[in-house]
Amino acid sequence: MTSKSRPKTISVYLYIPNIIGYIRILLNCYAFAICFTSKELFSVLYFISFVCDALDGWFARKFNQVSTFGAVLDMVTDRISTACLLVILSQVYRPSFVFLSLLALDIGSHWFQMYSTFLVGKSNHKDVKDSTSWLFRLYYGNRMFMGYCCVACELLYIILFLLAKESEKMTDVLMDAAKQSIIYSALLAFLLFGWATKQLVNVIQMKTAADLCVLYDLNKKHNK
Amino acid sequence: MFLTFYVHPVSTFGAVLDMVTDRISTACLLVILSQVYRPSFVFLSLLALDIGSHWFQMYSTFLVGKSNHKDVKDSTSWLFRLYYGNRMFMGYCCVACELLYIILFLLAKESEKMTDVLMDAAKQSIIYSALLAFLLFGWATKQLVNVIQMKTAADLCVLYDLNKKHNK
Repeated sequence: MTSKSRPKTISVYLYIPNIIGYIRILLNCYAFAICFTSKELFSVLYFISFVCDALDGWFARKFNQVSTFGAVLDMVTDRISTACLLVILSQVYRPSFVFLSLLALDIGSHWFQMYSTFLVGKSNHKDVKDSTSWLFRLYYGNRMFMGYCCVACELLYIILFLLAKESEKMTDVLMDAAKQSIIYSALLAFLLFGWATKQLVNVIQMKTAADLCVLYDLNKKHNK
Repeated sequence: MFLTFYVHPVSTFGAVLDMVTDRISTACLLVILSQVYRPSFVFLSLLALDIGSHWFQMYSTFLVGKSNHKDVKDSTSWLFRLYYGNRMFMGYCCVACELLYIILFLLAKESEKMTDVLMDAAKQSIIYSALLAFLLFGWATKQLVNVIQMKTAADLCVLYDLNKKHNK
């Protein structure tokens, strides 16, 4: 790129991975607008958007169009789409409080993590390999395992949504599905394990990040 | 949340906890509103705007090194200067927003349309109408600021990359 006296901002907004990001947002908007009238279409659109999430990182590296804006857009879209999915789950299942708590954990843990990452100057919260926690090392050191946990989480939520009937208890729905066949039971157990791991990592992540915030202040005082 | 106007947190952890609690409590309030009113999509959109604008803003604040996103006084937008330069006005908008949501929740009956509920309340007396208009104006200003904030923050992310490339 030739040096310009006034840098233009329009070209980054037109990067291919960022355009994929906009398409993801539009897909999600349409999906959530029709989620109660057509559950199957919603699930398909949501899943396509989830696949795009994996693709746009690959496109960014392939076309050398990695951008900070793209990374933040990606993170924000992830958080919002998970949040909206938890919101509609809180509408079809009782008690809603379960899903409100999961929503709070998702937002809280990622927010604290992002903040503390900036405080210690690491570029990516997924690069925390020096943590003493074995679960951390397993989760973040192994992209396949991390991917499995994230995908399991989203798939579990989508399946819960598809299986829901009005005002039904979640435990009943899951037990009914498990009783249908041994394959369903195995699949649900597989998804539940990945989901549980992800939530546990969220909790540990939030505590670790909070500790880093406290340490940051202590170091600042120390170095005065 | 209201204490933050009077008691400034002196620890980083406290500041982040404050921000996170604000976001989650607003989110949960919007969730229960999305349950009692149709279409839910309105409140999902407000939730998305709240999370998206604050997230982008926090990220870009770190990129440019400002300590507090509420200290943006050098912006060229007159609305920004009015909103962030005047703590009373900002406070009014934030409080109006939360009060409007709470009132909407209190007024709700099962599966009622929001416009009907608001019209009914407004018809009751001129004082109710004035109060609702007062709250709606503050709420609308806050949402507009959220949108501008998000765009400004996105521009800062883009500029950050351009400056990095430029200085190589």
